[in-house]
Amino acid sequence: METTKITKSSSSIEWGKIFRSYGTVIAGVIITIIFSVLNPDSFATLDNAINISRQISFLVIIGIGATIVMSVSEFDLSIGAIASLGGVIAAKIAASGGPIWIAFLAPVLVALVVGFINGWIVTQFRVLSFITTLAMSTILGGFTFWLTGGATIFENIPDSFRLVGQKSLLGIPLLSIVMLLITILFWYVMTQTAFGRRLYAIGGNESASRIAGLRVKWNKNAAFALGAALAALTGVLMASRLGSAHPTAGNGLFLQAYAAAYLGMTSFKEGVPNIWGTFVGAAIIGILANGLTIMQVPTFMQDVITGLIVIAAVIMQKFGRGSR
Amino acid sequence: MSLLEVQQLDKKFGLHHALSDISLSIASGEVVGLVGENGAGKSTFIKIITGVYTPDGGRIAWNGQAVTIHSPRDAHRLGIHVIHQERHLIPSFSGYENLYLGLPLPQLKFGLRVKWNQMKERAEAVKKELGIELDLTKTAEEMSPPERTMLELMRVMMQDCKLLILDEPTASLTDQETEVLFRLIERMTDQGTAILYVSHRMEEIFRLSDRIIVFRNGKWAGTLQREEADLKKVISYMTDTDYQGTTAQERTNALHEPVLLEVRNLSTVDGTVRDTSFRVHRGEIVGIFGLAGAGRTELLEAIYGARPIQSGDMAVAGKAQCIASPQQALENGMVLIPEDRRSEGLIMNLTIRENMTLPRLKHFSTGVYVRQRFEKSEVRRFMDHMNVKATSSEQNVSELSGGNQQKVVFAKAMMNNPELFLCDEATQAVDVMTREEIHRLLRQQARDKRGVVYVSSDIHEVLDLCDRIYVLREGTIVAEVPGGEATSEQLLQICYNR
Repeated sequence: METTKITKSSSSIEWGKIFRSYGTVIAGVIITIIFSVLNPDSFATLDNAINISRQISFLVIIGIGATIVMSVSEFDLSIGAIASLGGVIAAKIAASGGPIWIAFLAPVLVALVVGFINGWIVTQFRVLSFITTLAMSTILGGFTFWLTGGATIFENIPDSFRLVGQKSLLGIPLLSIVMLLITILFWYVMTQTAFGRRLYAIGGNESASRIAGLRVKWNKNAAFALGAALAALTGVLMASRLGSAHPTAGNGLFLQAYAAAYLGMTSFKEGVPNIWGTFVGAAIIGILANGLTIMQVPTFMQDVITGLIVIAAVIMQKFGRGSR
Repeated sequence: MSLLEVQQLDKKFGLHHALSDISLSIASGEVVGLVGENGAGKSTFIKIITGVYTPDGGRIAWNGQAVTIHSPRDAHRLGIHVIHQERHLIPSFSGYENLYLGLPLPQLKFGLRVKWNQMKERAEAVKKELGIELDLTKTAEEMSPPERTMLELMRVMMQDCKLLILDEPTASLTDQETEVLFRLIERMTDQGTAILYVSHRMEEIFRLSDRIIVFRNGKWAGTLQREEADLKKVISYMTDTDYQGTTAQERTNALHEPVLLEVRNLSTVDGTVRDTSFRVHRGEIVGIFGLAGAGRTELLEAIYGARPIQSGDMAVAGKAQCIASPQQALENGMVLIPEDRRSEGLIMNLTIRENMTLPRLKHFSTGVYVRQRFEKSEVRRFMDHMNVKATSSEQNVSELSGGNQQKVVFAKAMMNNPELFLCDEATQAVDVMTREEIHRLLRQQARDKRGVVYVSSDIHEVLDLCDRIYVLREGTIVAEVPGGEATSEQLLQICYNR
């Protein structure tokens, strides 16, 4: 009896469900169409599409980092500072003549440790992750400033360090390829592995996860570490792209990363932070920035529009949930 | 004329009658004791009188006038206040500030400034009137449990309280502190305040009450005058003499079987479990019965490694074990069916499949990825076995009925192939059919030489199901009775005898 009732009700809200699950994607498509119609010559070109894919690569990668931490119902406000620090460490190593692979790897390892410390403080002392990572952000900002003396590092950076950030393979920027690989990798980790399942379980209900025998603290720490590592990688890629590292280069990405993750929560698995959702969220933000720039909308107005869209998406999602 | 008079009060939750046909009255200056075993409807009654629940039927009269109480605010306006076992204070506020919660603050014109002096004067006056010694400049968190009780009493008295409901007020108090409380209650009744005193502690009820009202299964079971009341009489009202067991339960004597779980002198860090020892043999369903607050849930959690242990030993299947986490408990073949399904049993935003395989993900994982086809077929097998009604294994557990959710909890437990089930209120808020199914399942587990520890606040369920019953009182096991012969009178006698 119950079974039939459930089937009935779910078939009657099928359209609503599709709209709720793919509303953000549909919105992204509509935005793209509008820009294409308004600027057929400059926006709707293959070159511009490739351009956008490169522009969003940083946001996608750091956004995935934010998403992983959000999957265990925590926040990492230090990802921006970690990205800045990561870029600076990489540039320093590259500029001092160190091997390029170390320049890429070292910041990521440092970030793993930083993320683990964040997680450890949060889980061991039951401090709000908000406060912990906010303080960590300040600490890291200080470190970065100390490393750079506040100046941009751009001298003596070898071309080989810029390779990943600036070269393309078969016309596709390496950055875009890295972004896609990371997206697919973490989609896999979060949905196909036991580890990803555990993270979502902990995010869904920590005490039930504990009763089910999960190592809640360890898994949370791992989530923080992974999120931080991806943030550092973002910073390294930015430095590689620009051929320089500024001590606050990554800071601005932090709010956008959460905007992307929240936009993403409205798609595919509604209400749950998910990797492809974050990808779509970052893409929407990137498409908006690109399209509005082409239409010569001033930057401050772009910020206003992006903010409004995030608010609208979150409200939409609340409505979707309410009707359940 | 009575202060409060209720007639034919009725409250249903779904099909279950939490209260039916309750009629009683309370006069000014009177102390009425309200007793009944767990789930007899005392809390529901209090919640109706204080406007938390709306009754489905019946009338409430206040000073002879018919009233409807829609919210706690309405109740306050009439002069009905309640003091719960848990304190409702703001920890970081001072005594003065807490006293004025919900009261209009004396203020200068246009709310420019609170008149602190006036606040203090009035508070001191109430203090004097009640004869309370209490430093009100202290914050609530700096106060001791009895001081907090005093503070709540003062707050109530500042609001022109006509009827005060005390719900297990002495749970956290020592004997001396209780004496202070009792003196206060006397002063209040002298001033004409009526008291409804709800407690499991019979000697307090006998000492304070002018009359004792007994509830049983949501119904009025009797009223005793102070002179005629004694423990035996009260318990005979509380227990259902015409209750018949649902089915003739199979019972086993498995004392000759090997011991599966041995607990010796277990105490928890927080003191909710104290020096408790018991054992479970293979093939047994062992019941643990106790009144609310006796430490039933805490005992199970301590065994399961979910509550820090101070001292004591445990042996599982003859091997001494130190179980410090649920993970270790699971590895040692235990599984916990938690009391609160929604907050501890299931992860509501995940699917049936994801919930069921959570403790066993390693088993389904290749080390890299989860073998979802294998996972799905196993989940389906266990769903069939447990008779879970759902559209598919991919349905969210939040969409299932309470009974089916509980079956998922059991299916999840069964997947671990456990040796020992720790069940905490396993049939709470499930339908009759599911309840029977759960009982059958556990009996089958016992037949297969596994062990079950069964905690329930439903005395009849414990009596029906369990082979042996331990009685838990104030965190420690005080008696052991065989399941087949015990009666509810006997169990309650043990619980109430202090």
